[in-house]
Amino acid sequence: MLRYILRRILLFIPALFVISLLAFLISTQAPGDPVEMMMKGGTGDASGNARNSFQQRQELHRQLGLHLPVFYFSLGSYSDCDTLSEIPEKKIRENAARLIHETGNTDGVMRYIALVLRHEQQLQISSSTDLMEDQLRANALTHIRALQVAHEHDKIQYHGVQAVALMKTAERLGKKLNVSSSELQSGLSSILFEHKKWKTYIPVVHWHGYNQYHRWLFGDSGHPDDRGRTFTNGAIRGDFGFSLSTKLSVATTIKEALPWSIVFTVCSIILAYLIAVPIGVWSAMYHNSRIDRISSYVLFTLYSLPVFFVATLLLITFANPDVFNWLPASGIKPAIGYPEHADWLEKFQLSLPHLVLPLICYTYSSLAFLSRTTRVSILEIARQDFIRTAQAKGLSPAKVFFKHALRNALLPLITVFAGIFPMAVGGSVIIEFIFTIPGMGREILQAVTTKDYPMIVAVFTLSGTMTLIGYLIADILYAWADPRIQYEK
Amino acid sequence: MNETKQHNTTAAAFNFRTYAWKRFRQHKAAVVALYVLIGLMLVAVLAPVIANDKPIYCKLHNEHLFPIFTTKNKYILIDNNTNDTIQLQLDIAPWKTMNFESVLWPPIPWYPGKGDSDNRGYKSPGDDQFRTTAVGGSEQLRGLNKHVLGTNASGEDVLAGLIHGTRISLLIGICAMFIASILGLTIGAIAGFYGDHRIRTSWFSVVIFSFGWIPAWFYGFQIRAYQLSDALSDSAFHFLGELVLTALIFLTIVYVFYLISRLFQNTGRIIKIPIDTIISRGIEIFNSIPALILIIALAAIAKQESIIYVVLIIGLTSWTGIARLTRAELLRIREMEYMTAAKALGFSERRQLFVHALRNGIGPALVAISFGIASAILIESGLSFLGIGVPKDVATWGQLLYQGKENFQAWWLVVFPGIAIFVTVTVYNIIGEALRDAFDPRLKK
Repeated sequence: MLRYILRRILLFIPALFVISLLAFLISTQAPGDPVEMMMKGGTGDASGNARNSFQQRQELHRQLGLHLPVFYFSLGSYSDCDTLSEIPEKKIRENAARLIHETGNTDGVMRYIALVLRHEQQLQISSSTDLMEDQLRANALTHIRALQVAHEHDKIQYHGVQAVALMKTAERLGKKLNVSSSELQSGLSSILFEHKKWKTYIPVVHWHGYNQYHRWLFGDSGHPDDRGRTFTNGAIRGDFGFSLSTKLSVATTIKEALPWSIVFTVCSIILAYLIAVPIGVWSAMYHNSRIDRISSYVLFTLYSLPVFFVATLLLITFANPDVFNWLPASGIKPAIGYPEHADWLEKFQLSLPHLVLPLICYTYSSLAFLSRTTRVSILEIARQDFIRTAQAKGLSPAKVFFKHALRNALLPLITVFAGIFPMAVGGSVIIEFIFTIPGMGREILQAVTTKDYPMIVAVFTLSGTMTLIGYLIADILYAWADPRIQYEK
Repeated sequence: MNETKQHNTTAAAFNFRTYAWKRFRQHKAAVVALYVLIGLMLVAVLAPVIANDKPIYCKLHNEHLFPIFTTKNKYILIDNNTNDTIQLQLDIAPWKTMNFESVLWPPIPWYPGKGDSDNRGYKSPGDDQFRTTAVGGSEQLRGLNKHVLGTNASGEDVLAGLIHGTRISLLIGICAMFIASILGLTIGAIAGFYGDHRIRTSWFSVVIFSFGWIPAWFYGFQIRAYQLSDALSDSAFHFLGELVLTALIFLTIVYVFYLISRLFQNTGRIIKIPIDTIISRGIEIFNSIPALILIIALAAIAKQESIIYVVLIIGLTSWTGIARLTRAELLRIREMEYMTAAKALGFSERRQLFVHALRNGIGPALVAISFGIASAILIESGLSFLGIGVPKDVATWGQLLYQGKENFQAWWLVVFPGIAIFVTVTVYNIIGEALRDAFDPRLKK
């Protein structure tokens, strides 16, 4: 048994690796620029001068570790460039990647991108009060900014020609824009005409030592930045970073949300077992009787009812001023909050009305599934000889079914039990959304809609871990419930 | 000739499939469910003809028009009396108030997404509903012209939404499970048929074959990544075309490397490939991924909201059940006498697998597919209820239900879509149960 558990735990490692990798890859593919999101709500003087904002962007880019390659290795083409990830703005970075893909002219593109980035900064430095110069400067800036994110040939040509013309005008008029039109012209011609497309057709496997995934998993303690600072301890030490939208640490957010999901999951699973198992056993005892048939139909119906339908129905029936205004529609505590100095019992009493509807929703579907499973497996067991023996011994039917048969029908019930662990972490997204319960499910939904990827990755990984632990516990319980199960091969 | 015929009839007498079908038909509820399902499919296919705000056929200025079926976006007609040309923009023409020479309306003259401005703001099915006539008066709507199941905030007809939502739900359910079953059947069949000991080849050919995936991925997906994403933002159809082309390139390269690796079958040490263990462990790992969170996360990060994405995501995450059942069934089947016979007759392994083993082992997978469609429909409506994945302008059951949750007074926005989802899911669940009973080998005679 011990050896079996150890072997299972060994299987954890690749599984966890796959889960965390998947979560991580999803997060890198997510739309939206994390740096942009951090800047938006962050230390924000948005009107601050341009050089500052560029430096701030670069700083955040490094703090989030986005300047690193994504994974230990990558499959790319011969034209790929390893300094690409240093570009702090995602839109420009992606555009540069696309330009490289389309032209194959890596050096040309990188020089060109560096050039337009530098031009943007220099155009923003304005010292004069000359209206004419400001106008030229602003116009040139719009075209340079358009160039940064343009990959179509026509667009580049159009904005390029316009920008160069504006700069030339400025030079002719003797206005100093601090940029050179000839430099831009040569940069443009190199990406427009010097194509080395063949380079993009040659596959190359690149190896990267230190990368974003490694940093996320193990932290960056071994790789401090140029000022000797480190930013993360790594997911392996429970540091999942900071939420991009709320700026709070992911671990704190989870700590606040998790208890509610656990309360609901645990309560509902206890309720479900308490109700479902007797129903299942009884309907198996009175197989094909009217009670059995009615309960089968009811349970089948319950099983097929979508949870958001039931939840909404309950809401519009029992939390609707027009029908029955018995229960509150949302939240988990009174709208005005708990009174001061309330002890837990009082708090519980105040919260109770809020818990009723969500608990019903949490419970009914697993209840239906559980009693159906119990019934079927007991019916199978009931055909076996030892049940007939027990009956022949003169045991009461209740004892036969609840003691002898139930124990042997435990296995499917344990399988269901294993499922509650990931549910406690994941919560039920839909139920928590409908009843506005501040649990994990709502956190996930919020994270997903605001593209808050550190949160998604954390929940995903945690939930995967819990699934694995659930499987392990189920396996141990199988062995406890059925000593015939031998795990050593 | 005579001989083969006789052979066929004897085969039919012991045909398990005929027997299973017979058992399935004994299940009364399942037969009803099957009819309901056929009805739902008809509704899905005929949705534009059943509920539409344009006439199916109309005669206008001596021209016979079929506004629903045309691909044009405007008609140019000539008025007989004045000889003026009249332009008729199909999507904004006031069809309801036009004077046709003759006309055939769909039974439900409303279209989802096009609000009826006269009946805005949650008109219940019981309310009196009116419409402004051409002359400025108002007349009461009666019979099927009424919004039979009420309207939502912007006056969109609920029944029309339900009818068009049937399309989306069935389409997503069936397409997603199609993808899942192709994956699940293939992977499960390979694991079950070859087991841990049947694939023997030299390590050299293994190396060549596994190396082949790199160029296949590179030339199939990586080089064409931008083309694919551009196609997706263009149209679903374009994207599918590109996707098929990409998959073809990918598979061709893999196949070429497979052929090359075959040449080196005997070069170097011969090893066994424990394909069953690899696939089973893989499925175990895949199952520990929190599927619902994965689906929500994937649907939310998708660059564009598109039904194709939802289909792909659900399809690619729900194949494991089918794979496991198929594997178990094939482990059983491959020990059968007819498999030995097929082998003795010298059929190729591929033929043994796909013709003999898989065709007989498809039963349990059918059960899983039926339940799978039910859960795919549940996931789809759940996602649209949450407003994730499916574009907002597509009428779905889940999205209608969400509108009901937002306004407690509008019970018709909750009850009818809910019943539609419930009926569809139940139908698939009943069929699944009946199939399970029909295919259960323990119940065989």
